[in-house]
Amino acid sequence: MFGSDSFWITLLLRWCVVGATTLVASLLIGSLLALIMHGGRAPQVIASSLGRAFHDLVFLSTRRIGAIALLTFKEAYRRKAFAVGIVFLGIFMFGGWFLGDSTELRSVAPYISIVINSMWFMLVPMALLISCWGLPADVKERSIHTVVTKPVRRSEIVLGRMAGYGAVITLILFTTAVVGYFWVVRQVPQRLSDQLIARVPVYGNLKFLTAQGAEAEKGINVGDPWDYRSYIEGQTKARAIWKFPKINKAELKSLGKLPLEQRFEAFRTYKGQIDLETRFTITFVNPDKDLRVPGGTFPTREFDVGGRDRVIEIPEQITYRDSYEADAEEKTANLFDDLIADDGSLTIEVGCVEPQQYIGVNVRDLFIRMPDKSFTMNYVKAIAGLWLLVMLLVFLGTASSCFVKGPVATLLVSSLIIMGYFLGGHIAEQQNQMMLMDDGKTVIDAGGPMESLYRLVTKETTLPDNIGSTIIKGTDRGAFMVLIAVYNLVPDLNWFNTGELVATGFDISLMGVILPCLIVVLGYLIPLVILGYFSLQLRELEHK
Amino acid sequence: MSTESVIEIRNLSKVYRDFWGRTKVKALNSLSLDVYKGEIFGLLGPNGSGKTTTLKLLLGLLFPTSGEVRILGQPAHDVEKNERIGYLPEESYLYRFLNADETLDFYGRLFKMSRSELKQRKEELLDQVGVKHARKRQLKEYSKGMTRRIGLAQALINNPDLVLLDEPTSGLDPIGTRDMKDMILKLKSEGKTVVMCSHLLADVQDVCDRIAILYRGDLKVVGNVQDLIQSRDETQLLTSPLSPDAIRDVEETLKKHGASLKSTSHPTTTLEELFLRTVEESEQRPGRRFEPGERPTTESA
Repeated sequence: MFGSDSFWITLLLRWCVVGATTLVASLLIGSLLALIMHGGRAPQVIASSLGRAFHDLVFLSTRRIGAIALLTFKEAYRRKAFAVGIVFLGIFMFGGWFLGDSTELRSVAPYISIVINSMWFMLVPMALLISCWGLPADVKERSIHTVVTKPVRRSEIVLGRMAGYGAVITLILFTTAVVGYFWVVRQVPQRLSDQLIARVPVYGNLKFLTAQGAEAEKGINVGDPWDYRSYIEGQTKARAIWKFPKINKAELKSLGKLPLEQRFEAFRTYKGQIDLETRFTITFVNPDKDLRVPGGTFPTREFDVGGRDRVIEIPEQITYRDSYEADAEEKTANLFDDLIADDGSLTIEVGCVEPQQYIGVNVRDLFIRMPDKSFTMNYVKAIAGLWLLVMLLVFLGTASSCFVKGPVATLLVSSLIIMGYFLGGHIAEQQNQMMLMDDGKTVIDAGGPMESLYRLVTKETTLPDNIGSTIIKGTDRGAFMVLIAVYNLVPDLNWFNTGELVATGFDISLMGVILPCLIVVLGYLIPLVILGYFSLQLRELEHK
Repeated sequence: MSTESVIEIRNLSKVYRDFWGRTKVKALNSLSLDVYKGEIFGLLGPNGSGKTTTLKLLLGLLFPTSGEVRILGQPAHDVEKNERIGYLPEESYLYRFLNADETLDFYGRLFKMSRSELKQRKEELLDQVGVKHARKRQLKEYSKGMTRRIGLAQALINNPDLVLLDEPTSGLDPIGTRDMKDMILKLKSEGKTVVMCSHLLADVQDVCDRIAILYRGDLKVVGNVQDLIQSRDETQLLTSPLSPDAIRDVEETLKKHGASLKSTSHPTTTLEELFLRTVEESEQRPGRRFEPGERPTTESA
């Protein structure tokens, strides 16, 4: 998703649209206020303010920003902010308490998770508190008076504060990350140390064939409310078909094999032979040469909960028979020369072997496993993801503290964190429902808040067809639009969850994960600096 | 004296309002005045008269409700003008976790000063304000007087053309007060303009060329200090000590000219001068105690 051009264009477009909308709205509100306050002089005042703002936001002094950043850093240091690091060290001293009996552990994930989660729980509140309370304290104690009466631009104060808090958090993060790394490396039992790797998955696209052989976007739902996996039935034409576009043929050739890893789930409609695992078949398909080569039959490892023994290695030369006849000719196909299509894609069909049993699959349940990368580098990338997250919070906190007092700024940013983690998906769902409503056929069961209220009061299941219903539906639509607007302004913090990847041993892609996070942070930095600048510029810096 | 205006205030008003926009207090009411280059200008008035509000409006810390301010030829909100301004707030709102060295380093870096220039200026100022011995102590350990001194040093770090001092002698002991006044006079001698607001009238009288008196936001009096306090319908003669006969002769002579002698007395020194002399004498002769009625004789500053 992240790698595609369309994704970046969509991201940039959304940033521009949100930025431009906010800018126009701010200009309109500002113009209105200027008109009320200055009457006929309003155009002159607006032009002068915008000119000054442009100058103040563009011609910045790195010396002054550096001075304010250094001041901020010293403030945190002298006020013992770094004592938080000691708390972190304390967690490691007693870390074993949280892990239970290490002899029973089958994965290194708990060791890595405890480090990453401790850092998250330590650094996120800290970033929140120091960035939200610093500037308001400066205003309250009026020490800001001696700064703004020097040739310091408000934008430099905002940037200096952000840089200073950023430096404090970075230093703590760096120290705790180093301690955490050595803790993991030393604490992980020898028998699990081979799990300290970074698997590099190459994911494909997934389509299905139904039991009757028809193409489908999804398989069967076996009644699980969690719609993550679709199921294919055994001994039918049902197939899950992965297409891996543009695979790195040269790198795979150098390996001399195709390593695949699967995470399939078995669903049994009857107990069967419980000691035998449900099996699946793999078939390679090259539509250009009209070639179908069976890759073998494999167990799903359905009893191997949390284990990692799910790698299938397909040799470069595959010997197969293209029919089940006893005298069928034995053939050989070269995996890379014969089975990769002209467009560089590889197609793999997966079917379930056992009749009336099912195999559940998700697009991410089968991937090509490229050569593993270093755990250390992966850990560094996970820390980079966490660092970007706390930087974003520092920027949000500093900008908020420019226009509200410390407690309110803390509440505001805390709300943004909650929304960023939990509301994104919910609002996206609402957006999808609205899009469904737009097709004119779909009816949403519950409607919006107004419709729900109407139904609660009247105990009616449907809305009557009159003007009142139109108003109710219009209001609900308006409420959704507001939610969607908020959703577009709130950062999706799930993007920064790199800890789980490193804990489960997956490589964190620099281009696919870290770069998008960096761009998100920079995307927020620019408007937040502008917001902070205007908040400080347009208010009297007297504590009231 | 120069007639070049460094500060021009025209019809400046400031109304403090509450959250709902209702008037809380009219702090300043259509104030108009000029401060000229090279003078020491005093803003006087009782508490709540609008002195500090005026200074804050000049510095852009507050926004005027109406009226206009130009300072060094620039509008009050202009940031560039601050390169040439030094400001000592009423309370020394400094960063208490910094020491004196770090404080001056920090404020110096906010100006266009080279590293060597800043270092030299810092040494000069620490020496001048007399906190060199405590330069590595955090300001939270400073007394109020020392904080005031380092506050003045930060106001002068950029060698400003215009210095705004809000209650500069507040919290200082008599020696500190004298040092502060000396410093203000030195600034004037260097051609700088000083605006100070204070309600310590003796201090203002000692150093100011011109004053303005504010009362509840209104400008009541503005002018040259000597002109304003001089009593032109009386004449004061100061002579060497006179005998009672000599006094009678003087009285006779005055009668011939149609004047009368209103009072005769020995002139008094100020309490401040007595205090400074005592301290100086004590420094020169430690252990010396003055008998009742005895006075120190050293000619002090």
